[in-house]
Amino acid sequence: MASVTISEVRKTYGAVAVIHGVDIDIRHGEFVVLVGPSGCGKSTLLRMIAGLENISAGTIAIDDRVVNHLEPKDRDIAMVFQNYALYPQMTVAQNMSFALELARVDKATIRQKVDAAAAILGLEPLLDRKPAQLSGGQRQRVAMGRAIVRNPKVFLFDEPLSNLDAKLRVAMRAEIKSLHQRLGTTVVYVTHDQIEAMTMADRIVVLNAGRVEQIGTPLELYDRPVNRFVAGFIGSPAMNFIAGTLEAGQAGLKVASGAVIAVGPYPAELVGRQVEFGIRPEHILVSDAEGLDARVDVVEPTGSETHVVVDAAGEKLVALIRRRLPIAVGDRLSIAFEEGQGHLFDAGNGQRLALEPMDV
Amino acid sequence: MTSANLAAVQADAGRPPRDWVLIGLWLSLIVVAAIWIAPFVFIVFTSLKSTGQVMTTSAFAPPADPQFSNYASAWARGRFDTTFVNSVVITAIKVPLGLMISAMAAYALAKIPMRFGRLTLVLILFGTMIPFQVMLAPIFTLVNGFGLIDTYPGVILPYLAFGIPYQVFILHGFFRAIPHELSEAARIDGASHFTTFRRVFLPVSLPVLAALFILDFVATWNEFAMALVLLQDREMWTLPLGLSAFQGQFSRDYGQLNAAIVMTVLPATLVYLIFQRYFVSGLTSGAVKG
Ligand SMILES: Nc1ncnc2c1ncn2[C@@H]1O[C@H](COP(=O)(O)OP(=O)(O)OP(=O)(O)O)[C@@H](O)[C@H]1O
Ligand SMILES: [Mg+2]
Repeated sequence: MASVTISEVRKTYGAVAVIHGVDIDIRHGEFVVLVGPSGCGKSTLLRMIAGLENISAGTIAIDDRVVNHLEPKDRDIAMVFQNYALYPQMTVAQNMSFALELARVDKATIRQKVDAAAAILGLEPLLDRKPAQLSGGQRQRVAMGRAIVRNPKVFLFDEPLSNLDAKLRVAMRAEIKSLHQRLGTTVVYVTHDQIEAMTMADRIVVLNAGRVEQIGTPLELYDRPVNRFVAGFIGSPAMNFIAGTLEAGQAGLKVASGAVIAVGPYPAELVGRQVEFGIRPEHILVSDAEGLDARVDVVEPTGSETHVVVDAAGEKLVALIRRRLPIAVGDRLSIAFEEGQGHLFDAGNGQRLALEPMDV
Repeated sequence: MTSANLAAVQADAGRPPRDWVLIGLWLSLIVVAAIWIAPFVFIVFTSLKSTGQVMTTSAFAPPADPQFSNYASAWARGRFDTTFVNSVVITAIKVPLGLMISAMAAYALAKIPMRFGRLTLVLILFGTMIPFQVMLAPIFTLVNGFGLIDTYPGVILPYLAFGIPYQVFILHGFFRAIPHELSEAARIDGASHFTTFRRVFLPVSLPVLAALFILDFVATWNEFAMALVLLQDREMWTLPLGLSAFQGQFSRDYGQLNAAIVMTVLPATLVYLIFQRYFVSGLTSGAVKG
C-alpha cells in the first residue's frame, strides 16, 4: 500500500506538450482510474509513474518519496500492459518468477510466491505452458500474476482488458476488482472505457488533452460533472445537450428552431445567457401529460431497456426507457425532463452553471 | 436442389479442386532442385572413381568400384591437416564472435537511446556498401602495417570488419520489430540492458541468429580472395587456398580433386543441418496480442 502524489507534472516531446500540469493525490490502497479520450495522455502519465518516461517538469512521489529519477525497478511498482508483454520463450512460471530471480530472491521463496499468485489467479494447471499456448484471458491473468508476485506498492494497469471480448472483459473486471479488495494495493488503472471506469474506480480522474477535467467518485462525476466535457464523457448513452438562450420569466430555453423548451427553474441572472442544457437519457420521461411534442426517429431495444431517439423542437435527443412501451418509428410522443435533473453549462467555456444559488 | 446435384456437390467438397498454380510451383521446384543437385551428384560420384574410370565412364554413372582411397590421398596431398585446422580455427573464432558483436551492437542501436545512435547506424550501414575488392589493397597495407600478415588475427579482424555491418543491419531491423513493451516489462522487472538482451531478445531471435550463423559460416569457410592476399605462408593457408593449389598441381587427377571438394563442402553442410532446426517461425507468438 502506498500513496502516489502527482504534482504539477508536465510532459513535452520536443516542442510538443502533451501533459500540461497535472495534480492528482492518490491515497493508500485506493483504486484510481484515469479515463479520457484517445490521445489525451493517460498512458503517458502512467508511464511517467512507472518510470518508463522522463518527467519534463513537476514531481511524482510514491509514499512521500520523490521518484522522478528512480529506475522503474526501484520504484516498487508493477505494470500490466495492454498487450500483456509476456516473455514468449519462458513458461508461465518463469514469466512470473523473472523479476524475483533478478532480485536474487532464493528459489524456495520464489516457488512459494509463484504458487500463491497462481492459486489466486487460477493459473496452477498452466504453469508449465508457454504464452503461445494460452488464450487471451489466460495471458492477461499471467500478466497480472507477474505483477502480483512482486508484491509491489502500486499496481499500474494500461488498458489491460481492451484486447478481450466483451464477456471476458466483464469477468476480468470483477476479478481485478476483487483482487484489489483482497490485496489492498494501490491501483492506478488506465482505460478509455467509461463503463470500466465507473464500475471499478474508487475515484475517477477524467483527463482531456493533457489536463485534468475532474477528479471524483464515479457518482460525483455522474451526478455533478463540473463541465460539459465530463458530462458528455461519463455515461452511456451519453448525456443530451441542447444549446440555446435562457428566456426571462422562467420561460425556458430558446433553441435554434425558435421554440422555447421548459428546462425547470434557473437563476434569474442567467437570463439572456448562451448555455447548453444537459439532460441524461434516463431523465427524459415519456409522459401522457402536457409535455414537449416529439417524433420518434430510431428505436433501439437492448432487452432490459430501450433507447429511443426523438426529434423535439428540432433537437435530437436520446431517451432511455425501462418500461416496455409500444413505440415505433414515426410515432409522436410527449416528453418531459425529470425535475431537478438538468445541468446547465456555459456555451463558451463549458463550465457548469449553478442552477440554484447554493449549487456552486 | 435435386438429390443428384446435391451428391455432386458433396463429392466435390470431399476432393479439393486441382490447384494448377501449386502444381506449376512444384514442377519448377523439382527442376531447380535437379539443376542444383546434378553437380553435387557428379562431384560425389567422381570423387569415388579412379582416373581411368573418370575417363571411360559417363559423368553421372555411379562408381562401379568405389575408390575410398581417393579421400585419404587427397587429404595428404592437399595438406588438409594444415589447411583444415586453419579453416576451423578461423571460422570457429570469427563466426560466433562476429555474431555476438553484431547482436549486441544491433540491440544497442535499436533499443538504447543514444546521442549519435542514428549516425552510428548509418556509418555501419555504409560499411555494407563498399565492395571488398576495392578494399583489398588498403587492407593488405593496414594488416601489414600491424605486422599481422600470416597470422590468425590478421585475417579474423578484417573478416569481422566486413561481416558485422550486414549482420547489424539485419538484426537491427529485427530487434526494432520486437514490441517495445517486452523490453519495458523486463526493465520494470529489474533487468539491465544486458539481461534484457540475453534473456529476452536473444531467445526470441533464434531463427534469425541461426540463419545468420549458417550464412556467415559458409561465407567464412569458403572465403578465398582476402585469405589469398593476407595469408601467404603455406602453413597458414585455409581450405579454399589449399583446394585451389591442389587444382593447379593435380589437375589431371579428377577423383582426388573431387574428393577434396567433398571434404571442403562437408562441414558447411553439417552446420546447415544442425542449425536449420532453429528456423522455426513464430517464436514471438504469445508475447503480445497484436
Ligand atoms: N514519443 C512521442 N513523441 C511525440 N508525441 C508522443 C509520443 N508518445 C505519445 N505522444 C503523444 O502524446 C499524446 C498522449 O499519448 P498517450 O499514449 O498518453 O495517449 P492515451 O491517452 O494513452 O491514448 P490511447 O487511449 O489511445 O492509448 C498523444 O497525442 C501522442 O500523439
Ligand atoms: Mg494509451
